[in-house]
Amino acid sequence: MTRVVRLSALSLALSYVALGIAALVLFAAPLWYAWQVTIQEGRTEILQADAQRLTDVFHRDGAAGLKTFIDARVGMQIAGERILLMTDSSLHPLAGNLSMWPSTVPAKPGNYTIQVEVGNKAEPALVHVAMAGGYNLLVGRYNTIFAPLQTRFWYGLAAAIAVLSIAGMLVGLITRRALMSRVHSIRQTVSAIIHGDLKHRLPAQMHDDELSTLSRTINGMLEQIELLVHGVRNVSNSIAHDLRTPLAELRSRLEELALIRPPMDEAYAEIDSAVSDVDRVIRIFDALLRLAEIDAGLRRSGFVTLDVNELAANAVEFYAPAAELKSIDLVCRSHGPVPVSGDPVLLAQALTNLIDNALKYAPVGGAIEVAVLARSDGTAEISVSDNGPGIADTEKGKVVERFYRGDASRGTPGVGLGLSLAQAVAKLHGSALELSDKNPGLRVALCIPVDTAGAPSPGTLPAAA
Amino acid sequence: MKILLVEDNERVTQFVVKGLQEAGHTTDHAGNGRDGMFLAASEPYDVIIMDRMLPGDIDGLAIIEVLRKAGKRTPILILSALSDVDDRIRGLRSGGDDYLTKPFSFGELLARLDALHRRAQGVDIEVPLTVGDLHMDPLTRKVTRGDRPISLQPREFKLLEYLMRHAGQVVTRTMLLENVWDYHFDPQTNVVDVHISKLRQKIDAEFERPLLRTVRNAGYTVTAGEPGGGA
Repeated sequence: MTRVVRLSALSLALSYVALGIAALVLFAAPLWYAWQVTIQEGRTEILQADAQRLTDVFHRDGAAGLKTFIDARVGMQIAGERILLMTDSSLHPLAGNLSMWPSTVPAKPGNYTIQVEVGNKAEPALVHVAMAGGYNLLVGRYNTIFAPLQTRFWYGLAAAIAVLSIAGMLVGLITRRALMSRVHSIRQTVSAIIHGDLKHRLPAQMHDDELSTLSRTINGMLEQIELLVHGVRNVSNSIAHDLRTPLAELRSRLEELALIRPPMDEAYAEIDSAVSDVDRVIRIFDALLRLAEIDAGLRRSGFVTLDVNELAANAVEFYAPAAELKSIDLVCRSHGPVPVSGDPVLLAQALTNLIDNALKYAPVGGAIEVAVLARSDGTAEISVSDNGPGIADTEKGKVVERFYRGDASRGTPGVGLGLSLAQAVAKLHGSALELSDKNPGLRVALCIPVDTAGAPSPGTLPAAA
Repeated sequence: MKILLVEDNERVTQFVVKGLQEAGHTTDHAGNGRDGMFLAASEPYDVIIMDRMLPGDIDGLAIIEVLRKAGKRTPILILSALSDVDDRIRGLRSGGDDYLTKPFSFGELLARLDALHRRAQGVDIEVPLTVGDLHMDPLTRKVTRGDRPISLQPREFKLLEYLMRHAGQVVTRTMLLENVWDYHFDPQTNVVDVHISKLRQKIDAEFERPLLRTVRNAGYTVTAGEPGGGA
């Protein structure tokens, strides 16, 4: 892993340097070419002019005049940068600073590059050959005067490449070091998480660079994973706790039955109670599975447009006889249809759980109100209020936990999953259960975003009713 | 009824076969998908009970799909340990007629088989509905017992109508929840019993012979016959 990272950071720097050098060369090559061409042309022109001048002297003063002229020129020549040679038709030198006609130059008019021995090294020179009245004229200049310029060009190019390489490598190394240190910290965090400590989070800077964005996304994922793991741990704890009890009862009941071997009637009665014990275990199990299913967020596929008002009215009607039995006044208050997008089965289940809870805690002769309200913030609120003992502020957070049963609930039937299921359903619909005091009593509200598509705006609903 | 049970678990098989036998039905059993497919395709059955997860390469849903494509219309009850709502929907979409999750009570299974069988036979239930001296006209929404009119609230009417349409059969609490209230979950309380006792108050209280009876460990039945003749 480390090897790959190091290689990739370094090779990235290297390839950037190579790319820079390539760009530099691509820039220099045409420049060099254009320069060479321009110089060549200029020099050729100068040599032609020189030759023309000598030819003019020949025409004016004859061969002897030209010879004198060339001799004078050679005599006052500066630094030997010029080459002059006048020969007869058989290439015997007559005047000039070359001892003999260069063997590589044919006696034909034109431009040639030759090597001339100066001292003990060969100097390149450009020469021009011209003919005049049976004589041959060779005019040339050494290229040496351009050499410093060329050298400077090459030095410049080399220096640019060197600077580019060194700076590129440095930047590459620095980037790599910075990247490695961040990758390292991410790796440390991740390995801590792998070893089971889900509390760790990746470091994320305030500014929005790629790694920070990635870190934040991963942190979000970790948050969700921690929540799910916590949920699973909770469920397994709860299973251990709340399933053990009825299972233990069941076991002892059956064992006793086998031991005592009571008369038939009694045995059948015992078996019946054993079956209802099993049913209770199954019910807890189903509720847990349902919760896990909701928590995993898998049920969003069941979302449809539905009217919460109808949902509430049906649930109230469903519980009406049970409320009547306890002389509780169960009423439903609403202001006309409120369309929402949600899962009808889960919402109905959550709502029946809330009403069921309220029925358990409201005193005989008490009152329960189920209300549906389209709130101004674009959510539909379904609330269930009772006038029971309520829940202390310190317990409000706990009651939505799995299997938590408040002090007031001791001795009442139920598995302690009602509110946590309602909470999970609320979460699936993008909200949370709101618990508030009614003094006396408890008000539990579930908010769902109103489905605005194809429905009248929620603001107009109360007026229409 | 002649019933085919496709189920690989021996204990469940023993339990169901014995129960069905006691209820007066003949049962064939297939322990894997291949045999199940063969029997279901070749023999005439009134109802098929199909486990979803079977040993071998053919699972329950695949068998159902093949049978339906071949034009077999035998009612099929899917029996499965997969209890997710989505699993249920998938099961019913593949061509199953009802879905029961394991673990289940035998009473629930029997009641659902009866309901499936009756629905498939297409027995035209006479309208108005009559059980003993209880009459109901679903069109005019009038209910009378003897010559006394009984006034019912809409949901009570629906409850009684469902019970009367299944007169003589056992109807479980789950079936009532699903069909009368459209609640496909367990509300964890005995609210259905409360509704039933309210209904009983209205139709049975002042009469000598009760029509709405509780069937222990199973549910309810509306019948004019002797108690226990429901299944």
